[in-house]
Amino acid sequence: MPNTTISRRDFLKLGGMFSGAAVLGKFIPPEVAQAARQAGYLNAQGDGYVPSMCEMCVWRCGLIAKVKNGRVVKLDGNPQHPHSKGRLCTRGQSGLMNTYDPDRVLTPLIRVGKRGEGLFRKASWDEALDLTASKMQEIKDKYGPEAMIFSSTHNLSQVQFENLLNGFGSPNYGTQRSLCFNAMITAFLLTYGVEEPARIYDNVEFILMVGRNLMEAISTSETAELSQALDRGAKLVYLDPRFTKTAAKASEWIPIRPGTDSAFLLAMIHVIVMNELADCDFVKQYVIGCDGIQDAMRDYTPEWAEGITGVPAATIDRIAREYAAAKHNALAHPGWRTSNFVNSFQTERAIATLNALSGNVFTLGGCLSADVTAEGTGLGAPSQPPYPRISALRLDGVPWKYPLVPLKLGVFQELRDAILTGEPYQAHGWFISRQNPVQSLPDRAKTLEAFSKMDFIVSVDIILNDTAWFSDVVLPEASYLERYDPLLPVGDKVFIRQPVIEPQGEAKSALWIYKQLGERLGLGDYFQYTDEEDYLRQQLTPLGASLEELKAQGYLPMPEKEEEIVFNTASGKIEVYSETLARAGFSPWPTWEEPPQPKPGQFYLLTGKVAQATQFGTQNNQLLHKYSDEPRLWLNADVASSMNLAEGDWLEVTSQVGKVNIRLHATQAIRPDCVYMTPGYGHLSKGLTTAYGVGASDSVLHETYTDPISGSQALTQTFVSVKKAVDAQPVEERKPLYLGE
Amino acid sequence: MEKEHKYGFLIDASRCIDCRSCLVACSVENNVPMKNTRIWIKDTGVTGQFPDLQRYSAPYHCMHCIDPSCVSACTVGALQQNKDGIVTYDADRCIGCRYCMYACPFEIPNFQWDQRLALVVKCDLCVNRLEEGGQPACAATCPTQAIQFGSREQMLALAHERIKNEPERFIDHVYGEHENGGTSTFYISPVPFEQLGLPTAEKTESPAHFNRLVTHGTPAVAASVAIGMTGIYLAIQRQGKDNAAALEDHAAAQRHSE
Repeated sequence: MPNTTISRRDFLKLGGMFSGAAVLGKFIPPEVAQAARQAGYLNAQGDGYVPSMCEMCVWRCGLIAKVKNGRVVKLDGNPQHPHSKGRLCTRGQSGLMNTYDPDRVLTPLIRVGKRGEGLFRKASWDEALDLTASKMQEIKDKYGPEAMIFSSTHNLSQVQFENLLNGFGSPNYGTQRSLCFNAMITAFLLTYGVEEPARIYDNVEFILMVGRNLMEAISTSETAELSQALDRGAKLVYLDPRFTKTAAKASEWIPIRPGTDSAFLLAMIHVIVMNELADCDFVKQYVIGCDGIQDAMRDYTPEWAEGITGVPAATIDRIAREYAAAKHNALAHPGWRTSNFVNSFQTERAIATLNALSGNVFTLGGCLSADVTAEGTGLGAPSQPPYPRISALRLDGVPWKYPLVPLKLGVFQELRDAILTGEPYQAHGWFISRQNPVQSLPDRAKTLEAFSKMDFIVSVDIILNDTAWFSDVVLPEASYLERYDPLLPVGDKVFIRQPVIEPQGEAKSALWIYKQLGERLGLGDYFQYTDEEDYLRQQLTPLGASLEELKAQGYLPMPEKEEEIVFNTASGKIEVYSETLARAGFSPWPTWEEPPQPKPGQFYLLTGKVAQATQFGTQNNQLLHKYSDEPRLWLNADVASSMNLAEGDWLEVTSQVGKVNIRLHATQAIRPDCVYMTPGYGHLSKGLTTAYGVGASDSVLHETYTDPISGSQALTQTFVSVKKAVDAQPVEERKPLYLGE
Repeated sequence: MEKEHKYGFLIDASRCIDCRSCLVACSVENNVPMKNTRIWIKDTGVTGQFPDLQRYSAPYHCMHCIDPSCVSACTVGALQQNKDGIVTYDADRCIGCRYCMYACPFEIPNFQWDQRLALVVKCDLCVNRLEEGGQPACAATCPTQAIQFGSREQMLALAHERIKNEPERFIDHVYGEHENGGTSTFYISPVPFEQLGLPTAEKTESPAHFNRLVTHGTPAVAASVAIGMTGIYLAIQRQGKDNAAALEDHAAAQRHSE
């Protein structure tokens, strides 16, 4: 390559070109620089553009990192990636600040004070890994492998995390899923045989969204596609008790009473089936339940739904007819975080049914892609021995208490509660990777109590999040701009996450950490890769492609899969009527279940994303903090003035399990019977110098309720009372307390 | 001043979702200090009475005026308009006088109040990205294409075309076409621009030419004052020397007489 900075335009032209200049860069540390220059995207000074993948949320956009003097100076969306299409959202743009967070943990830490005191000492990797492995082995020898809990949230290295868990022999796997999308996934698995059908906006004319706040809970490409569909004149009907930024863009906003979405949807189904407005040919050919659906839906009249939802019957009737008229260009969006009420599974079943009735299956020209992709990813994997047989029951009650919850989803809140009851047996250790259960699980006091029952807690993270703050050992992971992760197929391409800079300090990739622990636990046979690149090469073997080519371009084409209409259900059809549900003792039809309501003087506690944060992990990012609104409690302005409360007043918010102080945001943008909190604030860790002392934690207030079918936590079933606070929220000093080496 | 006004933005308040991706992108691209910004969100807030509500927003940054008041107000040439019509800022020349802040009808230059030797911070249209064939960071990343970037001519035509095609969606006004004598940033919106919080800059002529009388006159005035003062100084000096010499003569005469 010439001795000049490679321009963005050159980079995009680069394609598969890579040459072998091997002079070391002046500033960039050697390994990445050499590889990058060999691939042809860094010049002799080590400046240029490197393709990789975002990790600021689970949408995983393709990115192009601009590197200068060994530092990432800008991230842009990769135009070749279907999730970014050249753009990154707010969080994606801020990603380099996660890497350069002054609060990064850059060496292994071992706790020396009391749990939660924040007193750690720095340790070598050998010491921290030896200690972790010996503690885990001790628990295994004493109580059996099931006494170790493993939990981790949606990430590309999760496959090797699961490898560690399965090799170790514990059935106790905690994911975030029951706090998020269990209701949606379980309902669509039972109805369509797919976890999460893709939405295709190309020809969509009518979109029904039930609380899917796409303009704030941004998935870059989907948010863009929705915006473009609205520009083309598509109609968006949006149900939400809050006037969100999506509501502001909707053709029609329906501020429905929380917990009654399924009544609204069942009445829509009633109008469609009683008036025979469905796509009959499609339904007869592909749907189970064609015959009995009129009887099953007969009572769910719009008038009945009006009494429950507060939405006029005429509006429901009209929307149902508009939806049906759009035929297969109508889309009832499956939603995402659907953990709202114990009846959220029924809401999702009704959404699945509405889609079935419109015949909107993508391969037939519709806008919902529910096709089952061929088994496996098409990628290779290191060989490994079979896992040990596990006979212990799962602490989260799957499947012995929750027969229909898929094993990989689990019921996380139930797992936490089993630690407290000690039933069916007592857990003693907890291995947590890239997860923050102290903040994410409902009822924080209970979670901290569960922590206190643990003999040993180890966390893998990049900063001292609340969970790491309460851990015994903290293993510092390299950030997503500093490490490899396993490859990710998206559509007809496979994409890579690769280090665009060297890891700072002692930080290491999860692939390395899990392997090191595995070897120390005598499980080395499950980790048959010499390093991260070797792991990726083994993945690429079936494609016959080179890692160098993939690294240079950021992606490689995958062999095309045949598209055919197959539904991976018991019957091979879309099961609006589900025999599986009937056999498990649940209603085989989507059905109405009355959720609890707040007592007079109480409010529904709503939570929901803002565009400047992801869950509980990004509040310490200084760039996001710079442009975030102060997290306040939304309360309807008329209600606030009737309570003599004014904007900015300090409030005391109380549920059955906790109490927080937070400032008031009086607004018209919320129903009078609701309050709203931005989730993810009110951190306990003083190791988060930007986020500590900001806002209040919704997890303190959330009560634990579980839907018996999907295992979903019912987050909106917490009702709170609100009054003027006596004292403002105390703000303590923020400082992590590291001792010497 | 014959410049080519090469570039333009079209900002659509009906598309903006107030996600602030453009704000973060700008901060990163231009290494903007944490307490400063080159770009804001202007919004109507939530208007109306529950449940009949509305809300619109739009990103807001330097308009890159055809005849920029800030340039005319800058006495040291820190603010300049380059050959492409981009209003650039040179921190090495800036003396932190804040005249530009008073001159700009759009209140764009952002002062570093927290710094002892404070300068201003202002959009330069990401000239570095343009040189590499890219777009300004804000427009490049906007998920809903609420900020579009292209030639000024193109963007202006597109603004009018979109209003013409959807008269029920937009008010019939392209903000920035005539404001402050014309700018390179055009807004279209479903609601009047003052509701979004954009300044009512109704003048069809930039106040820059009035400013110029003052600011461009300043060096001449300063020079003549300086020359005058120097003259006076020299005169006084000379007078002083004459007096001193006279005193010396007088003293010498006295010594002789003793």
